[in-house]
Amino acid sequence: MRITCPHCGARDAQEFSYLGAADPKRPDGMAASAAAMAEYVYQRDNPAGRHRELWYHGAGCHAWLVVTRDTRTHAIAAVEVAKARKAGAAAKVGAKA
Amino acid sequence: MSAQPFRLASGGLIDRGHQLEFSFDGTSYRGYAGDTLASALLANGVRLVGRSFKYHRPRGILSAGPEEPNALVELRSGARREPNSRATVVELFAGLAASSQNRWPSLAFDLLSLNGLVSPALVAGFYYKTFMWPASFWEKLYEPLIRRAAGLGRAAGAEDPDHYEKAFAFCDVLVIGAGPAGLSAALAAGRSGARVILCDEDFRLGGRLLAERREIGGRPGSEWLAATLAELASLPEVRIMPRTTVFGLYDHGVYGAVERVADHLPEPPAHQPRQRGWRIHARRAILAAGALERPIVFAGNDLPGVMLAGAVRSYVNRHGVLPGRESVLFTAGDDGWRTARDIAAAGGRVAAIVDSRPDDPARKALADKIGARLFAGGAVLRARGGRQLRAVTIRDASGAVTELACDLLAVSNGWNPTLHLTSHQNGKPAWNEELHCFVPAALPAGLAVAGSAAGRFTLAQALEDGARLGREATAEAGLAAKPAEPTLTTDPETNGLSPVWRVSGGKGKAFVDYQNDVTDKDVELAAREGFRPVEHLKRYTTLGMATDQGKTSNLAGLAIMAEQTGRTIPQTGTTTFRPPYTPVAIGALAGHHRGKDFRPVRLAPTHEWSKEQGAVFVEAGPWLRAQYYPKPGETDWLTTVNREVRAVRSSVGLCDVSTLGKIDIQGADAAEFLERVYSNGWKALPVGKARYGLMLREDGFVMDDGTTSRLGEQHFLMTTTTANAGKVMQHLEFCHQVLWPELDLRMVSVSEQWAQAAIAGPKARETLRGVVDPEHDLSDAAFPYLAARAVTVGGGIPARLFRISFSGELAYELAVPADHGDAMMRGLMQAGAAFGITPYGTEALGVLRIEKGHVAGNELNGQTTARDLGLGRMMSSKKDFIGRLMAGRAALLDQDRPALVGFKPAEPGQRLRAGAHFIGIGRSAEMANDEGYMTSVAYSPHLNHWIGLGLIRGGAARIGERVRAYDPVRNGDVVVEICSPVFVDPEGARLHG
Amino acid sequence: MAETATSPTAIAWVPRGAWSGSTRAGSFGAEGVSGIIATLLGGFGLATLIAGTGGASSLSQAVERRLGIVLPATPRIVRGQTHDAIWSGPEQWLLRAASRDGWSALLGELAAHAAVSEQSDARAALRLSGSQVRKVLAKGVMLDLHPAAFAVGDAALTSIAHVGVQLWRLPDGPDGPVFEILVARSMAGSFWSWFSASAAEFGCTVTAG
Repeated sequence: MRITCPHCGARDAQEFSYLGAADPKRPDGMAASAAAMAEYVYQRDNPAGRHRELWYHGAGCHAWLVVTRDTRTHAIAAVEVAKARKAGAAAKVGAKA
Repeated sequence: MSAQPFRLASGGLIDRGHQLEFSFDGTSYRGYAGDTLASALLANGVRLVGRSFKYHRPRGILSAGPEEPNALVELRSGARREPNSRATVVELFAGLAASSQNRWPSLAFDLLSLNGLVSPALVAGFYYKTFMWPASFWEKLYEPLIRRAAGLGRAAGAEDPDHYEKAFAFCDVLVIGAGPAGLSAALAAGRSGARVILCDEDFRLGGRLLAERREIGGRPGSEWLAATLAELASLPEVRIMPRTTVFGLYDHGVYGAVERVADHLPEPPAHQPRQRGWRIHARRAILAAGALERPIVFAGNDLPGVMLAGAVRSYVNRHGVLPGRESVLFTAGDDGWRTARDIAAAGGRVAAIVDSRPDDPARKALADKIGARLFAGGAVLRARGGRQLRAVTIRDASGAVTELACDLLAVSNGWNPTLHLTSHQNGKPAWNEELHCFVPAALPAGLAVAGSAAGRFTLAQALEDGARLGREATAEAGLAAKPAEPTLTTDPETNGLSPVWRVSGGKGKAFVDYQNDVTDKDVELAAREGFRPVEHLKRYTTLGMATDQGKTSNLAGLAIMAEQTGRTIPQTGTTTFRPPYTPVAIGALAGHHRGKDFRPVRLAPTHEWSKEQGAVFVEAGPWLRAQYYPKPGETDWLTTVNREVRAVRSSVGLCDVSTLGKIDIQGADAAEFLERVYSNGWKALPVGKARYGLMLREDGFVMDDGTTSRLGEQHFLMTTTTANAGKVMQHLEFCHQVLWPELDLRMVSVSEQWAQAAIAGPKARETLRGVVDPEHDLSDAAFPYLAARAVTVGGGIPARLFRISFSGELAYELAVPADHGDAMMRGLMQAGAAFGITPYGTEALGVLRIEKGHVAGNELNGQTTARDLGLGRMMSSKKDFIGRLMAGRAALLDQDRPALVGFKPAEPGQRLRAGAHFIGIGRSAEMANDEGYMTSVAYSPHLNHWIGLGLIRGGAARIGERVRAYDPVRNGDVVVEICSPVFVDPEGARLHG
Repeated sequence: MAETATSPTAIAWVPRGAWSGSTRAGSFGAEGVSGIIATLLGGFGLATLIAGTGGASSLSQAVERRLGIVLPATPRIVRGQTHDAIWSGPEQWLLRAASRDGWSALLGELAAHAAVSEQSDARAALRLSGSQVRKVLAKGVMLDLHPAAFAVGDAALTSIAHVGVQLWRLPDGPDGPVFEILVARSMAGSFWSWFSASAAEFGCTVTAG
């Protein structure tokens, strides 16, 4: 399998490591509920088809990537840089030092 | 040594000026350069080459290619012995020593052929049925017997002396197969400037053109072949790879191939690998792998002398070998007639042509011309002979039976496209009713199929497909294709076919799968017993499950099952294939990575120094670390480790800790980031100080620990454990890039930049004083416990000094740039010589930390929480951090969870073992009574007895209680007393020196 | 306790380069040919520069002002008279100095514009040239290094034989194509084991640069 890293170009999948679904957002902050955290940690869809997932280009630029892959065919529709995404729940809750 | 009695006087693509001597089962023979082992054996009249898997039936050479199910031999001897080599694809070389396999005591006289007489016991499913009871007989009796009786050669049993490589290639167009279709494709693409890789498994390029007498463009096919190869060789972007099998198709245009670099030589030349495993990345690929001919199932169809008709043409035309004196052809179509024609043209005798189709005047005329008796509408009922074919029984159209003496029966039943790669990604081939074969249907992205592999069997179609697809692939790869050349003309050919899957009524076994000894009766039995779906048929009978993957048998098996169940072939099922197309040696997949090169090994910058000190090394994650440093006369590791530990507690020891992960963290939000990734607090840490940090996973369990130092207001240096360095870096990158990209944070690993040493013991400061430049005040007041600051050594070499301790002694860690790591160790040894400074390794490090009750990898095992480890106070309640909420789950707060305590033997002399489970005294050793387990043990030279750390229900509340430490694996059953995990200096007085 | 011990000056601080113990100058493999020339590099300065959020242009200007090179925004190496900048990830570069003279002062200056981490001793560096250099690299590099696909100045972070590397292509020299490779110091030995096995068939001359 080949993944086109937006920074490094097309690379063999063995340069990357897989994490899982890209869209669950961590419920940050002291106000977050245990139930929401349990959902974030454990609940995952397992779609046969389009799946947005996180891959880490550990052997390359160390970027975390959001790869949109068809789980049936491994066809990859898009690869985005995770850091470039709009900051998630964290941005709203996270109080800086 | 005899002449080659079956070699034709002239012709063939062999070099008659280049004779090669070889041996088979100890007898010497001669062949020519350009021979395969099979063609050379046939030239010498050797027809019996092996015994079958189950019934030990005599077997010969069926094919002339990679599909060969019978002629499997062992090559070479000693450590290079290689079983299961298909003689039909083994390139002959001088000195080749081959031997038959799966026979006992000899090939000609095989006692185990009696298996054929008890064959009713060995029918399909016999494993399941016959040997089920009594169960104890299986291991002791049945399996050893079956193993002796059925086998596939012997592995060398010694380390392979050759080396193997991996390699990576990239191209615009990969062409798989160098027959007429592949050559046309490569030429069309190559002429346009495309980067082309042309692979063929054969050592000579040309595919079927080598085996046939054909014309292209009004000239002999061989002339076109020579001109094409010359032009391809002249194109700089075309790489031609003979002896290279493309065995697998993977996602996104990645192909696996194996190049047999030196298999055709007695041993690899100096510095050359035996084989090279390729991963080829192709924008487009063209499968031009041709087709494989199909046998017919009839009684005795496995006798040596029964061959595929196309294979006979290969031997006659390519190798100049006529494999029989008296031939009979049994054909279901036009293609077989070419064999009769070529045998006759080579001066051979064709006694009869048995064509399953009705009488036809043109065929009659041709048979007359060849001088063969024609049995139109006939069939071969049975082949007879002892160890080779002697006669065939023919049934004519009227049902009358004739017996004809012959020693060669050529069988022709049409061809199956070699479409294996098209189904490596689950693509199902489709049945083509007109062609009577499966053809590629849905194709993997980027792959096109040309010529016979697509069911387009004529030479003209192959040339046309190749040229067209070569140009298309060029254009799809983004290059401008040259205009099409005019299509080449060929001599006319017809491919009429009316396949015959099996002929019933002959006496004796009729084989469907030669290699696994599966007969038509086995398929019938499977049908009767309900194993009708093709996947059940396969597993029940083992049809298609041998190393040839059913290349010659799958379709006949399907056809017989279809006939048994009253269905059509496509209704019965399809044949799909998985990689590899043909067997691939593990060596070619592993390449360089075996033995000590199995995976990269990391060495500390102080490694050479440790070696000089006599260190014994141990693997720690990817690192080799010094485990202990035996001195002359020390024969027992425990003696050495005790000496090292005593040195640290009494004077000073020196240990390399360069292997710890070191991460430079900078930025305005660096402290905030640490707050979030560590469970304890960081904002209040002053510049110039270090702190122990505990990192949890989001599910609340402990991930890693280490000290992190504040080098500047916005600059921290984190250390991780040796084993988790990579994992922690990835985790931190995740936290930053995915969770909190808004934080101003910059991280990079500096693990490789710094060599680091721990200097521990009462004399640590004095030792260090001899190394650190004098302007740095190391007094307790100026450099207190947990100080972390830049210093210099050697008159200005930048260094970092940390006053941290894993041993509970006065201790420091000194870090210098890696180039100076070796000198640092030598300098510290010099500076500490007056105190008897002692290098210590990971064993002593472990003893020292266990004596202090510090947790390490054995306790941070992914199943423990901070509370379990007595580190609950390190979980801040004032801030959010990774793992906070999940660590608070009720089950993880249960007072009954095993928690960390110390253990000592009730009788001081007794040894403790890590891994022992705790059971209440007087209770039986069963899971229900399990209370926890010992995680780490050590012999404490300080206390003079064994000590341990472990996790037990109730934890510290049970201090003073005694339990059993039960270790059935090592016959351990010791009464231990639960105690504080801190065995030495519980007040911490020694830390301050 | 009195601080009486060996005088620091008595210690010989002899540096030990990243290739020590793994290889040395000489030749190996096929005799009479030298398809590969491997030059072991040392004595250079190397540091990671990471621009802060939105700080890339300030850093880039500072580097250009000071060293006359522009930080590449894509995987490339930009070479100057004395210093090279190699893309090492988003907003991250390796700065390499031909010598370590004035090195720490330079890093001190740049620290105002970026997170600067000293890495001079962290990598084993190698220059490979020779007619067969692409054939050797093809045995480990999972990248297309064809001249049309990997141009002069192109750089990549990847791995060779499971060892992380950073490599780039320099202008062709008299011996043919030229590549430079950085390898994690701790894995120099494992890398060399792969390299020496792979280059042997072409004959290799090793020199210390």
